Amino acid sequence: MTNVENAWLIALYPLLSAVLIMFFTHKSRKISMGISIAAVAIGFIHSLLLFFNFHGHEAYEANFNWIKAGDFHLEIGLLVDQLGIGMLLTVTLVSLLVQIYTHGYMDEDKGYTRFYSYLSLFTFSMLGLVISTNLFQMYFFWELVGVCSFLLIGFWWHKPSAAHACKKAFVTNRVGDAGFLIGLIMLYAFTKDFWSVDIATMSFTKIQEAINFAIANNGLEVVGLVSVTTIGILIFMGAMAKSAQFPLHIWLPDAMEGPTPISALIHAATMVAAGVYLMVRVFPICEITGSGALSFIAWIGGITAIFAATIALTQNDIKKALAYSTCSQLGYMIMSVGLGAPYIAMFHLITHAMFKAMLFLGSGSVILGCHHEQDMREMGGLRKYMPITAITFLIGTLSISGMPFFSGFWSKDMIIAKAYEVSPALFWIGTITALLTAFYMFRIYFKTFEGEYRGHAHPHEQPLAVTAPLMVLAIPSVILGLWGSPLMDYPLLKYFNHHFHAHGTGLSFFIHELTQPMGYLPFLAFVFGNLGAYLIYVKGITMQDKAVNVYVKEKFVPLYEGSVNKWYIDEAYEFVISLCMSFFRITWKFFERVVIEGIVINGLAWRGSEFVGEVLKLTQSGKVQSYILIMFLGLIVSVLIFMV
Amino acid sequence: MEFLAEHSLSLQLFVFLITALVIAFSPFNEKQSRITALIGSFIFLFIALLQYFKLFDSSNTAMQLVESIPWIGGINFALGVDGLAFSMVLLMAILMPCVIIASKPIAQKQKPRLYYSLLLFLALAVSAVFMAKDIFVFFLAWELELVPMYFLIAIWGSKNRNYASMKFLLYTFAAGACLLVGLFTLLAYTGFASFDMQELAGIAQALSVPVQTLLFVLISVCFIIKLPSVPFHTWLPDAHVEAPTPISMILAGILLKMGCYGLIRFATEFFPTILENMAPAIAILGAVNIVFGAYTALIQTDFKKIIAYSSISHMGFILLGLAGLNTAGYSGAAFQMFSHGLISAALFMIVGMIYERSHTRELEDFGGLAKVMPRTFFIFKLAAMANLGLPGLSGFVGESLVFYGAFTSAYTGAGLNAIKISTVVSSVSLVLTAAYMLWTNQRVFYGEIHEKNHVLTDARKSEVLVLAVLLGLAILYGVYPNFINSLYEPQLDSLLKTF
Repeated sequence: MTNVENAWLIALYPLLSAVLIMFFTHKSRKISMGISIAAVAIGFIHSLLLFFNFHGHEAYEANFNWIKAGDFHLEIGLLVDQLGIGMLLTVTLVSLLVQIYTHGYMDEDKGYTRFYSYLSLFTFSMLGLVISTNLFQMYFFWELVGVCSFLLIGFWWHKPSAAHACKKAFVTNRVGDAGFLIGLIMLYAFTKDFWSVDIATMSFTKIQEAINFAIANNGLEVVGLVSVTTIGILIFMGAMAKSAQFPLHIWLPDAMEGPTPISALIHAATMVAAGVYLMVRVFPICEITGSGALSFIAWIGGITAIFAATIALTQNDIKKALAYSTCSQLGYMIMSVGLGAPYIAMFHLITHAMFKAMLFLGSGSVILGCHHEQDMREMGGLRKYMPITAITFLIGTLSISGMPFFSGFWSKDMIIAKAYEVSPALFWIGTITALLTAFYMFRIYFKTFEGEYRGHAHPHEQPLAVTAPLMVLAIPSVILGLWGSPLMDYPLLKYFNHHFHAHGTGLSFFIHELTQPMGYLPFLAFVFGNLGAYLIYVKGITMQDKAVNVYVKEKFVPLYEGSVNKWYIDEAYEFVISLCMSFFRITWKFFERVVIEGIVINGLAWRGSEFVGEVLKLTQSGKVQSYILIMFLGLIVSVLIFMV
Repeated sequence: MEFLAEHSLSLQLFVFLITALVIAFSPFNEKQSRITALIGSFIFLFIALLQYFKLFDSSNTAMQLVESIPWIGGINFALGVDGLAFSMVLLMAILMPCVIIASKPIAQKQKPRLYYSLLLFLALAVSAVFMAKDIFVFFLAWELELVPMYFLIAIWGSKNRNYASMKFLLYTFAAGACLLVGLFTLLAYTGFASFDMQELAGIAQALSVPVQTLLFVLISVCFIIKLPSVPFHTWLPDAHVEAPTPISMILAGILLKMGCYGLIRFATEFFPTILENMAPAIAILGAVNIVFGAYTALIQTDFKKIIAYSSISHMGFILLGLAGLNTAGYSGAAFQMFSHGLISAALFMIVGMIYERSHTRELEDFGGLAKVMPRTFFIFKLAAMANLGLPGLSGFVGESLVFYGAFTSAYTGAGLNAIKISTVVSSVSLVLTAAYMLWTNQRVFYGEIHEKNHVLTDARKSEVLVLAVLLGLAILYGVYPNFINSLYEPQLDSLLKTF
């Protein structure tokens, strides 16, 4: 049962669980929860066994024809390789812990079993995405995870804000998906001759060959505007929407309207990282010589990283602040892909999944403890009341801020080091973002857990179902990074990429690196960001007799207001949308009501209808038989007309 | 059994005819009429399933299940189906029982026997359109469909029914007139040598290009009015809004497909050269339909109008698919026909259910209905997802095939880029469709509930059953499209070898 051929079962169990809960066991909370958790637990164990047993350098692949029309054919199948196994483990582990946590978090909710069925459905879709053999199949599951995200954001449908947020999330994602779909259609059209009947269309293992084949045969410019750059950027649009990259990031902060477990699972650890996973899979398309896609990707990632970090500085809603932090970290990953280091992006994806899931679950614990209060101004001093949550949250904060030897340190600094090699501008963006990250993360921590409690509830620690997942996630948040570090000779990166080549390895290399700008600058960023937050939010140092944060707020009004209001991106979108709606209304009215209806038709139709109305009055008094008679008469008349 | 195998198509028509007559001339009440109609439609379905599993061979690209009885003059009462036509017969067989079950509240209002017999006549005429092998039978059936449809809207419709039914009649009549002139001219040019559609197609291809163009335009206008396509689409929203729920279901579900079917059957088989020259124009028309339909749906405030404009938008995909001139585009169009039949019927049914309970279709009267109608909420979400083309549901298959087919169009002239650009522009509908479906969903089901809506009741068992069948099939064909696609793919592939 645990062979590689059966890896599709990992995705199937949660689907069965979702269907079972939805249609059969939704009345029983215990059974539903049990089925859902068991399904993903089996998947996790299965993934672990795959991890230990699958060592082949060749990917395992199986394909089945899904549809065929002439020479067009699409397949659905199963792909198992090291990259996929890494993702399988991450997704099943986080999903398992989040589902356990859900039991504690959603205990009092009426939709408890519905929530579990959606969670299972999401887990299925996400795992289906991970084991996809080809781009088309990935698109298939890509949309399914989107719809699960839609369902879960709008889980509390009676809240108007949630209703708005789920629609916004789906529609924004659709913008990216439209680009993605057109991109893959162009790619298929571009490489059409390569995919003969026995090669699965656009399969990841063959995509490099196909591109080379097409370029050899057709040259780079295909038709007019369509080139490999266009294809790369269009496919990347999908990733931009799903991984909340600027300017399609607007849905992610609003998505925090959903229950916290899904913020952790979907909007921090797994689904939003799918964009990065996609870009790693299609990396061969982007890195073709002559394609400008990579630098576009790198810059979008860099801009998102620093842009979202500046917003996170001033948010008071704990989940919103964490959401912008997710945006920013995803920006790092995307930037890493753009810099030509997809495997480092994967490394950061996995470490980030661990500590960010933990941070979100921690924030959920805080929210529960404060009786559904999300505003950090109503918190403070919670360390005394919620020690486990506080310690795990601190670990997460240290990890994401880049505390040396913690997971986030290794993966993030590796990206910044890569930027140092490739693009100085992006290196500085990365370093400044690291400074901002350390600052805003410690701001969150200090405002929530240190000082005096400012709220009006009675904070309390949460039950084991909530705290246990936090404790479990704390472990990889600290040590997982070592596994990809030079200290241990990069086993994780070598696992993903057999050809991984580093400049050096071991402790001496690490120390040498630290003496270089790319080593000590990010470290200094961590120190100063941390220190700054400490001085402002714990020590409360003053400037001209005012607390520093108040001083900054008053002195730099446009900057502060800009950050609080998310740089008015939502407002800009709303303006454009309202323009479009007016355009739609005007053209519709003009075209339909004035041109077609008013001028052409109405004159005719009204006269006619008056006449026929009269006739109808005569006929409607009749019996059934007379209608039938009329019908047959009509039939005969039409036959006669035809014959004459 | 052998008799059944040899005469299955005419038996199907006969079943509808007999059932309609029995209901019309019997003393049945509503329930008895409905059950009789249901029995008739189940016999039709049974024969269709028999054809699907045994009698019909999809690898055979020729006309099958052929029957021919000499009629008047050189005309034969000839029936036969190929893959495409058969898929439509199958759709008819699936939809009819659903429509009849959904008819209960409408037929209870007045004249149940007349209602059910007209409904069955309508089904008879539409099935005959798809089964016709003789051009005269085709035309007769095409015109015959108009009569029961007119009465069904004019008698059972809502407030503005006279206006809407008249508009429907005029448009369809104009379409029929174009078709009549076109077919008559065609027959005149061929010297009335044959009425058989396949033979005629061969003769038509040999005509001179100007004549072919004239005939193509005449005949195509008829079909794109029926489709309907911009600028001849305005009858559809009115007809839908005024028609009773089951009639809307059958109108969107299968009547519109007569136009698509006609386009593939006549435009492609009779005048392939003209079609090829027209491909860029068709693609642009398709894109206009897709985008205009979608954004018009976005600004409507009447629940039913949104779904009606959504139909127009989705019918645009069929035009776009035809412009591909390749198997992918045509298969996509054919799949879209089938899938839209299931999904739009389900959507119209849901709209009708809510209208029947609340007596309003204005979106601002709704909100928070999820509280009182949780089952309907669940089903509508599923239907909305199917309509916006979510993978795993049938709407996605047709759309993606059409996109690919149109983008890789076999057209070779100077307008090729127009087709490609039309395809890319059409992808905007992915966003627009999601926007109007989910916005509607939000305005109807999410948020706080209105005070007066607390009394609304959730979907009845019979309604859930109908929707479960329609959407269950949408899932089945979305997960494994080959169940339908394999019916017509070989035939379309051989048809399109000519391009």
